[in-house]
Amino acid sequence: MSDASGSRGLLKWIDERYQISPLLEFVRHKEVPLGAHPILWYYVGGTTLFFFAVQILSGLLLLVYYQPGETTSYESIRYLTTKVPFGWLVRSVHCWSAHLMIISLVTHMLSTMLLKAYRPPRELTWVTGFALFALALGFGFSGYLLPWNELAFFATAVGTDSVKSVPLLGDWLLNVLRGGPDVTINTLYRFFALHICVLPIAAFGIIGVHLLFVQRQGMALPVGESEAPRGMRFFPNFALRDLLLWLICLIALSALALFFPYGAGIPGFEWELGQKADPLAPAFPGIKPEWYFLWIYQLLKEFPPHLLGIEGPQLCLVVVNVLVAIWALVPWLDRSARAEKPSAGFTDLGVSAILFLAFLTLKAWDIGGGGGADGQLPDPAAVARNSAWILAALTVAITLVRVSFFHHRWFILSGAALLHAVLHGIGGVQYLAAGAIAATLAAVAIGFLSIRARRLPPFAGGNP
Amino acid sequence: MAESRTSSPATRRSVLNLLLTMGGLGWLASVLYPVISYLRPLPMQGPSGPVGLTRAEIGKIERDKFAIIPVGTRRVLVFEDSSGELHALDAKCTHEGCTVRYVSGESLIWCACHNGRFDLEGHVLGGPPPRPLARHAVQRQADGGIMVAVSKA
Amino acid sequence: MRHLGVFLLLAPLALAIGATSSRAEEEFTPSEELTALLLAPGDDGEPLISRREREYFSELPPRAKELFDQAIENELLSEATHLREILSLGLSAPKVELLMRDNCIVCHTDPTAQDSDTLFSTDPESNGSPSHLDLVEFVSDVHFRRGLSCAGCHGGDPMDEDMADEIYDRWPEAPERHEDRTWIPAFCARCHADPVFIRRFNPALPTDQYAKYKESRHGERLFRAGDSKAAQCVSCHTAHGILRPNSPRSSVHPRRVPYTCGRCHADEEYMAGYVGSDGKPLPTDQLREFETSVHGRALLDRGDLGAPACNDCHGNHAAMPPEISSIAQVCRTCHAANGELFDGSRHKQAFERHRWPECETCHGNHAIAETDDSMLSEQSSPLCYECHREYAEDNPKCVETAKYFHASITSLARESEWLDGRIQPLAQRGLDVDALTATVGELRDILRQSRSLIHAFDRGEFEPVETRGREQVETGRALVAEAEAEYRFRRNGLLVAVGIMAFLAVVIFLKIREIESDT
Repeated sequence: MSDASGSRGLLKWIDERYQISPLLEFVRHKEVPLGAHPILWYYVGGTTLFFFAVQILSGLLLLVYYQPGETTSYESIRYLTTKVPFGWLVRSVHCWSAHLMIISLVTHMLSTMLLKAYRPPRELTWVTGFALFALALGFGFSGYLLPWNELAFFATAVGTDSVKSVPLLGDWLLNVLRGGPDVTINTLYRFFALHICVLPIAAFGIIGVHLLFVQRQGMALPVGESEAPRGMRFFPNFALRDLLLWLICLIALSALALFFPYGAGIPGFEWELGQKADPLAPAFPGIKPEWYFLWIYQLLKEFPPHLLGIEGPQLCLVVVNVLVAIWALVPWLDRSARAEKPSAGFTDLGVSAILFLAFLTLKAWDIGGGGGADGQLPDPAAVARNSAWILAALTVAITLVRVSFFHHRWFILSGAALLHAVLHGIGGVQYLAAGAIAATLAAVAIGFLSIRARRLPPFAGGNP
Repeated sequence: MAESRTSSPATRRSVLNLLLTMGGLGWLASVLYPVISYLRPLPMQGPSGPVGLTRAEIGKIERDKFAIIPVGTRRVLVFEDSSGELHALDAKCTHEGCTVRYVSGESLIWCACHNGRFDLEGHVLGGPPPRPLARHAVQRQADGGIMVAVSKA
Repeated sequence: MRHLGVFLLLAPLALAIGATSSRAEEEFTPSEELTALLLAPGDDGEPLISRREREYFSELPPRAKELFDQAIENELLSEATHLREILSLGLSAPKVELLMRDNCIVCHTDPTAQDSDTLFSTDPESNGSPSHLDLVEFVSDVHFRRGLSCAGCHGGDPMDEDMADEIYDRWPEAPERHEDRTWIPAFCARCHADPVFIRRFNPALPTDQYAKYKESRHGERLFRAGDSKAAQCVSCHTAHGILRPNSPRSSVHPRRVPYTCGRCHADEEYMAGYVGSDGKPLPTDQLREFETSVHGRALLDRGDLGAPACNDCHGNHAAMPPEISSIAQVCRTCHAANGELFDGSRHKQAFERHRWPECETCHGNHAIAETDDSMLSEQSSPLCYECHREYAEDNPKCVETAKYFHASITSLARESEWLDGRIQPLAQRGLDVDALTATVGELRDILRQSRSLIHAFDRGEFEPVETRGREQVETGRALVAEAEAEYRFRRNGLLVAVGIMAFLAVVIFLKIREIESDT
C-alpha cells in the first residue's frame, strides 16, 4: 500500500463516512496458503476472471458498431473488421478471449475437482462455479450466432434442435428459444438479448457471489489438513503475481489475435466471417459446433433413433443430465472428502471425465477419417480407431504421471474410460454398447473391492 | 535497470515505483490508442461534385416552394422565391444547428427552435444566430432537373 | 303401421346390400385360366410369375384385368412366360390397357407363336432377335404412347385375331426391304409430311423433314444414287424406339446425336469408298475429334445443351457439309460478337479473296480446342506468322501487331494471376480484400474482352481496353501494397504493445522481488 499521506487522508475521509476500516483490515491480512497445494492452481480462477473482463470490454466496443438485423448483422461485422480502425483487433480479441476464458474455466474446474476444494464448507462455491460454467457455455452459444454467417446459422440450427427432446416442454422450448419453429433473424434477436444483457447480469451476480464465498472462506487446503505451513499476503504479493500473470495472458492474447485473426484453424476453433447466412442453402458438410460443444454433438450422433423404447435424442438428454447432475452434486456425493479422508475414487472420477470428454471430442474432429475431399463422408471406423489410439496414449501418459508423482493407486473409472475407447475404436463395438460393458465392469470391480474392504462408502481404502 | 548511485533500498523502491508508474501509463496508452481510434467515427463519404435532385424533391419544391436535401453529411435548403428563381443555402442554423425552413409568404428563412430569421441570401435578420447561412450554387437544367453544388465552406 | 315399421327397418338394409352388391359387380374375379397362368410353376417348382408381378397385377383396375381374360378367350394369351413378359414391364394402368387392346402386340409378344425374327421381347439379344424388336423400348415409343399402334404403320386392324392380308400387301417383302431402303422416307412421310394429319397429334411438329431430306447428301445418295447404305429415317430415329429429341434416352437427343451419327461416320469399314467433294476419301475421325473439342467436352462430358452437336452445324434432315461461305455463318449463330468483330476487320476481305473458311482456318471444325493465349505466340503457334509471311509480306506491321497482342495479353494475364494469388494470403491475415477482389474481377472481364477483340485484328480498337487493363493492374498493385503496409503497421504495433507490456511485466517482477526482499 502506498505510504503517501494524501491517500491515507482520502481513506480516512471515506472511513469516517462508510466505516471501511474492517474491510481494509481484512484486505491487509488476507493470505494465500503456501506449501500445501501447488500455488499454480490458485491462479486459474483469476485468469478466468481476467479473460471475462476482456470479454466485457471488447464486447462493449463491438456493440458500438454491431447492428442486429436481417440486412445488418453480417454487414456490420464486415464493416467493423474491414473499415473501422482496429476493428479487426477488437473482434479477434473477443473471439480468442472467449475460447481462452473457457479453457481457463475448465482448467479451474478440473483443478478444484481433483484437489477436492469442493468439500465442506465450500459446496456452494462449487455449485456457483458450475453455474458459471453453464453461463459461459451459454455465452459462447448465443454469441456464436450474432455474425449471422453460414457457419453460425447451421451450428445454431443443429444446437437448438436438441431441446426438442425435452419431454412435454420440448416443442415449446424450441419455439421460445428460436423465436419460431426455425432459426430466423428472430432467433438472433433473442440470442442478442441473452448475450448482452441477460447472461451478463446473471454472470455478474453469480461471479459476485462466487468471489464473496472465496473471500469469506479463503483458499482451500489439501484433504485432511487444516492449516498451511506458511502464508503469502494477498495484497500486494499475490496480487502483483496475479497482475503479472494477467499481463502475460494479455501478451499471449494480443499475439494470437494478430497472427491468427480467424482462429486456430482447427474445426470448432475458427471464426472466419465467410458467407452470410442463407436459410435456403443446404448445410455444408463438415459443419461442427465450437470445440467445447463437440463432446455432446458427438454423443448425440452415437445414439440410434430409438433405444429401449425411447427416442434416441431423449435418452441422450437423460444420460447427459445424469452425468451433469453427478458432476454438480459431487460435494455431497464425495463422502470421503466430506470426512476429510482421502478420496481416490473421486480423483479418478475427475480423470475419467477428462478421458470421456477427450474421446468424444477426438471422434468429433474426424481425425484420420479421410473425409472432406470430394464431399466424401469421413470413415467412422477409421476415426474411432485413431481416436482410441490417441486416447490410449493420453491415458498412459496421465497414468504414468499419477503413479510416479502422485502415487495414485485407484484407476477403476479411468480404466473403464480407456476400456470404453478401446472396445469401441479398436474392437469395433458400438459406442453405447462398449460404454455399457465398461460401466458394468467398473461397477463390478468397485462392488468387488467394497465387499473385500467390507466397508461402505466404497471409495475408501486407496491412496489419494 | 540502471541502479542509482546510492543504491539504497529507498531509492531502489522509488525507482521501481517510478518505472511501474511509467510502465502502467505506457500500457494504458497502448490500450487507449487503438480504442480511441476505433471509437472515432469514420468520415462519411459524400458525393464531391454537383448533386441532382430526385423527382420527389423537385415535386416538393413545386408544391411547397422549398425542399431540404441531403448532400453527403450536410443539409441544403433549396427554395424558389416569388419571382421563380432558385436559391440554395445551408439548412443548418448557425445558432444551435436546427434545420431552418423557407417561409414563402414572408420571403424569409426562419428557424423554429429559437426564432432566428435570415433573408433570402442567408444574412441574419434577427434572433440569436451569430453568423449567416452559407450559400450554395443551384441551377435549373433544361430537362427540368435541378443541380446543387455544395461550397466547401 | 306395422308394415311401415318393417319397411323402414328393412329399407336401409336393402340399400346397403344393394350398394355392396353393385360394388361387387365392379369387383373383378379372374377366370380360372388366368389364375392358373398367374400361379403356373416354372422349372424350379416356384410360380414363374414373381410375387411382385402378381401384386402389380392385382392392383391394376378391373378394366385392365378384363383385357387379360379377353386375350385368353381369344386364344392369344395361353402361356405363363408370355404373361410374365407383359407383367414384367410394370406399365401404368392406361398403358397396360393400350397394350392389351392391341392384338398385334399381344400376339407378337408370345414366345410360342413367334420366331426370333418376329418376336418382341424384353431382351431381344437373348432370343436371337434383332435389336429393333425390343419390347421395353417399344412401350416408351412415342407412336405407341399416342395410340398409333402397329396397324398405323404396318396396316391391318388391332382388333383382328389373325394377320390381315393388308399387312402383307403394304409391307415390302424381306429380304428385299432390307437391301433396298429407298422406300423408307416416303413411308414415314405419308404422315410426317402431311401437316393436316400431324396437327391432330402435335400442332407444333414441323412437317418439312421429307422435303429437306430430299435435298440432303443422304437423300442424294439414297434416291439418286440408289445407295441403301445412306442414312434414312430409321437409321437415326430407330424403328420402334422413337422418342422426342428432348428425351435424354432418345437417339436424337443432343447428347446422343454425335454417337448416332458416329454409328456410320466413325466406322471406317462402313465409310470405305465414299469420297468428299474434293475427291479425297471421307474422313472418319470427326467423332473422335469432336470428343476432344471444347464443344464435345461441354456437350458430352458436362451435359451443357448450349454446346452444338453435329446437327447444329450440319443440319439434321437437310444434312450437308457446310459450304465454305456458310461455315462462318454457322459459327456466328452463337459466337455473334466475335463474328461481328471479324466482319469489320481487314481479314474479312482477305479471307473472302482467298476463299478461306473464316473461323475454321484458325480454330478448326471438329477438333476445336480451348483457346489459349499461346495461339498468338510466334514460338508455339505459327497461325498468324506463317500465314502473314506467305500472303502478306508487304505488311510487316501485321506481324508486329500480332506480337503486340500476344505480349499485351500474356502480361495482363500474368499480372491478374499474381494479384489473384495475393488475395488468399492477405485475407488469411485478416486484411480487407474486398476492393482487391473487385479489381481482379474487373481484370478478368477486361482479359475476356481483349481476347475477343483479337478478332478485330486492329491495334486501335485493342489499345483502349489494354489501357483499362493497365489501370486496373496499377490499382490492384496499389491495393496489395496498402494491405501489406497495413499488416506491417499491425505487426509493428503489436511489437510496440508487447514491448511495453514486457517492460511492465519485468518491472512488476522486480517489484515483487523488492517487496519480498524486505521480509
